[in-house]
Amino acid sequence: MKKYFLLLLFLFVPVISWADEPQVALEKANISPYDTASIKRGAKFFATVCMACHALVYMRYDEIAKEAGITYDKMNFTVKYFGILPPDLSLITRWRSPDWVYTYLHSFYIDATRPTGFNNLVYPNSVMPNFLAPFQGQQVLATDKTRYMFVGMPQWYDLLVLQQQGSMTPQQFDATITDVVNFLAYAAEPYRVDQIRLGYWVIGFFIVFFFFAWRLKREYWKDIKKRFHTED
Amino acid sequence: MEKMRRNKKLLAWIDERFPLSAFWKKHVSEYYAPRNFNFWYYFGSFSLLVLLNQIVTGIWLAMEYTPVADQAFSSVEHIMRDVRYGWLLRYLHSVGASAFFVVIYLHMYRGLMYGSYKKPRELLWLIGMLLYISLLAEAFTGYTLPWGQMSFWAAEVITSFASAIPWVGKTLVIWLRGDYNVSGVTLHRFFSLHVIAIPLILLGLVFLHLVALHHVGSNNPDGIEIKVKKNRQGIPVDGIAFHPYYTVKDMMGVAVFLLICAFIIFFMPGMDGYFLEPDNFIPANPMQTPDHISPVWYMTPFYAILRAVPNKFLGLLVMAGAIAIMFCLPWLDRSPVRSIRYKGAWSKIAIVIFVISFIGLGSLGIQTVSPLRTGLARLFAVLYFAFFLLMPFYTKYEKTKPVPERLTG
Repeated sequence: MKKYFLLLLFLFVPVISWADEPQVALEKANISPYDTASIKRGAKFFATVCMACHALVYMRYDEIAKEAGITYDKMNFTVKYFGILPPDLSLITRWRSPDWVYTYLHSFYIDATRPTGFNNLVYPNSVMPNFLAPFQGQQVLATDKTRYMFVGMPQWYDLLVLQQQGSMTPQQFDATITDVVNFLAYAAEPYRVDQIRLGYWVIGFFIVFFFFAWRLKREYWKDIKKRFHTED
Repeated sequence: MEKMRRNKKLLAWIDERFPLSAFWKKHVSEYYAPRNFNFWYYFGSFSLLVLLNQIVTGIWLAMEYTPVADQAFSSVEHIMRDVRYGWLLRYLHSVGASAFFVVIYLHMYRGLMYGSYKKPRELLWLIGMLLYISLLAEAFTGYTLPWGQMSFWAAEVITSFASAIPWVGKTLVIWLRGDYNVSGVTLHRFFSLHVIAIPLILLGLVFLHLVALHHVGSNNPDGIEIKVKKNRQGIPVDGIAFHPYYTVKDMMGVAVFLLICAFIIFFMPGMDGYFLEPDNFIPANPMQTPDHISPVWYMTPFYAILRAVPNKFLGLLVMAGAIAIMFCLPWLDRSPVRSIRYKGAWSKIAIVIFVISFIGLGSLGIQTVSPLRTGLARLFAVLYFAFFLLMPFYTKYEKTKPVPERLTG
């Protein structure tokens, strides 16, 4: 009996588990494809800071790119730093998810053992130098994560403390990172707004279509029901 | 009035030269189907609809897609971004692929429940199984085309299975890939297979499947033969004309089916990584193996069986056996009745165990390997085979319920 019980228990073992899990829970990025102003702000920040290293090869040259000064050359600019090619970011939100990028950009902290002087909670031993430090300031790992071993995943702000503020307040920095993530989500899926709008129309159409198809079916099946005296 | 007369004249002109009216009567308006089709009988029509969708969207995708290793990935992004409604075409096709397997699995399960493979429908079942295998090949070759990391490594892993075959394995793998590794050569030939060879086979088999179906007539949830009781005109008393009764009913079902598909296509096309895997948004890189390679969800039950066997060649044989044994179903079932409704308790328990083990294997195949999961996969694999191999015994010796003379409900 006990064996069957155990077997039953195993059936409820979580179905999915991903191989490289971050050390912290992913914070939800508060982004929207409709917030064009945010996307434009994010594009500008991305063009001035991030594009020193990262390319956006699949992005198309459009109004948003033009306004932010993202030229065709900049989109395709690649260079190796210390033998490492910084990844192209045009599909990063589809590979990692917007929440991953958002939390990743928040969770750099000082770690003297790393060659860059910084480590990251979401992507441990990330080789990316912390180019955000001048804006965010420097964070230190204040709480040991083993404290959270049995009470679920901690958030990045449970573990990190801002030691020295940079040129932005924490609120300003968070807003900037949200804009950047919003822009990257746009760069990955520029058709999102069209997709959602068309989606409502198509779903609306099928609801109406279903109603007519259902009435038509009932009308035709009346004779069948009469013939066989059945319910439905 | 004048127009109607003209149409009639045109039809008569055609009928003199081509059996159009006769065909319509035989296969649609005077094809008599059992009157008690339930929910499970929608999926045949749905799969025909999905096939049509795959062909139409596939034609347009092929206009913009480039089957060359260093351009394939970016040509897909070109479709997504630069082609008008390209994203829609691509999502219709990628969601369509998964939807195809959803409806096919439900369609096959329907056959399993109501004994639709039993005499005289053995060939109908066998043609259907060939269709299923062709569909797996079509999906596998298609999955390679976007040339992302998962495309590349799934192709690498799946083609490498053949290397486990003794003596000829190594040669066979090179023959399959056209190269020593999966490369642009492989991509190009998979493209050819995906857009020409396998679709032709699929269409041919669908034709044969329908010919066989219309020759023997549809089974039904009661699993009794409606042709036994006919009225004076020779029409089965429990049969109703496919058109208009089932065409309008299917239309209603199609509305619901497309509503669900539309929700996925427009609001969650990746289906949380099940329909489009996140790793496939990185271009293929032969120098870097992803942490975790797994095939798409519809292949994972068999992948789990393969991994459950410690020996690679034996694993391959057992996995092939898991599919091959489904071909034998018509001869494994020795019950005097067709439908699960009138079979005994053993058959009912067996089908529940089968469903649990198939879904269990599917979810294990997606996950990484651990000792516990391997143990579970072995248990489910044994149960999966037990369902088929013990079938001749439990179906023969169990007590069945009496079958009604006429359709119920």
